[in-house]
Amino acid sequence: MKAGKLQFSKPNKYWVESSQKRYVPCAEDTVLGIVVDCKADNFIVDIKGPATAFLPVLAFEGGTRRNIPKFVVGALIYVRVVKANPGMNPELSCIDASGKAAEFGLLKDGFMFETSTGLSRMLRSSPMCPVLEELGKQLSFEIAVGLNGRVWLNADSPSTVVVVSNAIMNSESLSEVQQKIMVEKLLQRIK
Amino acid sequence: MDSRLANTWRLTVNERKFIETALLSGIRIDGRNPYEYRKLSIKFGREDGSSEVQLGQTHVMGFVTCQLLQPYRDRPNEGTLAIFTEFSPMADPSFEPGRPGESAVELGRIIDRGLRESRAVDTESLCVLAGKLVWAIRVDLHILDNGGNLVDAANIAALAALLTFRRPECSLGGEDSQEVILHPPEEREPLPLIVHHLPIAVTFGFFSSESIMVIDPTHHEEAVMAGRMTATLNANGDVCAIQKPGGEGVLQSVIMQCLRLASRTAGDITKKINDAVEAYKTERASSKIKRHPASIALEGIGSGGNVKGKQNLSLNLRV
Repeated sequence: MKAGKLQFSKPNKYWVESSQKRYVPCAEDTVLGIVVDCKADNFIVDIKGPATAFLPVLAFEGGTRRNIPKFVVGALIYVRVVKANPGMNPELSCIDASGKAAEFGLLKDGFMFETSTGLSRMLRSSPMCPVLEELGKQLSFEIAVGLNGRVWLNADSPSTVVVVSNAIMNSESLSEVQQKIMVEKLLQRIK
Repeated sequence: MDSRLANTWRLTVNERKFIETALLSGIRIDGRNPYEYRKLSIKFGREDGSSEVQLGQTHVMGFVTCQLLQPYRDRPNEGTLAIFTEFSPMADPSFEPGRPGESAVELGRIIDRGLRESRAVDTESLCVLAGKLVWAIRVDLHILDNGGNLVDAANIAALAALLTFRRPECSLGGEDSQEVILHPPEEREPLPLIVHHLPIAVTFGFFSSESIMVIDPTHHEEAVMAGRMTATLNANGDVCAIQKPGGEGVLQSVIMQCLRLASRTAGDITKKINDAVEAYKTERASSKIKRHPASIALEGIGSGGNVKGKQNLSLNLRV
């Protein structure tokens, strides 16, 4: 059990939400991984966990021995954790449960930064968290959030990426109202 | 092997490309412009001679201690100053515990050179008994968090710690006045070190494409940049040391521009350090009024007076 904030949702659900710098792999999480090495059967991927994860070369949509994708070392990929058993390296996949590529795969260009796991969970919450909502009203950008505390951003101009990434990193300890105010101030300043 | 693979910090292809393209249009990933320094905060510990410096995400702790030792034979009437660095594995997974790595040695050397070659600390005033006993000042620098530009942060931590450090006063006594008596702080006010000027290290990062230069690089930029240069200057604009460890070649005109920028930055940082030290000293002075010296309290208790009552440490040094 990890320490964290006690959360409550109506009518009677309580849970403790923790936030760490390190990620503990869990099956069915979607994460952002960095390719560390390419082996014959697996890509070795760093997902910020205690051990590197394996991405089988056939775990792609319509994957056969003939069409193995090529990743350079240091490539950023959006993947799903399939197996996360203790004492084993986690296994990843680039296809969803129905065998489709969905959104998984290589992320080109853009910028990746690291956050805590709590912040990445907040960014993926529904309804949408106020930071992203307010920023999205004024700026256009593309975002991919991995539950392992990695966030990828892309936009037409580098300045937008810098503004959005810093706004997200600053929102770590702010309440919803504070987040809104912070984003409003920020957007006024850059205009 | 596997656990080490999982524990190292990596830079993705995306980040590398983004940092370079953003810099082409004069933008840095933390929103600064290329010639802007990060936010600097200096704090002091409860004891004299300890400092904690935060430069952006970089966090360094400095600690100064002193000891009476025999001087070096070629410098019989000068005290010594030594810098020790400690890179905690908690600051960055690439730091390994145990033997200091290459970067740890380089960091120590840069700071040591800046302080020593410019004679910033007056070592002659540290002499107690020429050829026999001098004060050896030791500066310990602990890297607590690596957010890039460790040299500058560690240098500021060392200066702030040296400025607030006070050594116990000592006098010569005994029949042939060869005996050194150390006075505890309650008896005689400890003496601060004599620091003539503050050599401030300012680091620049150079990127390969079209001679882009940034001041105070973060650890993301450090992973991408092609070359690095550290210039050590004081507030008067005197260059105390320059370190340019390999990497990309730099034009002479760029170096001159760096030095101009560094001298301006050194002025700002000197002011910040002096303000922080001044605030610390006034706080110390105001808290001293309420201080109850430990030795007086002990003497008040009485009976065990012989053991602890007189806290004078005496060192007999006879030829």
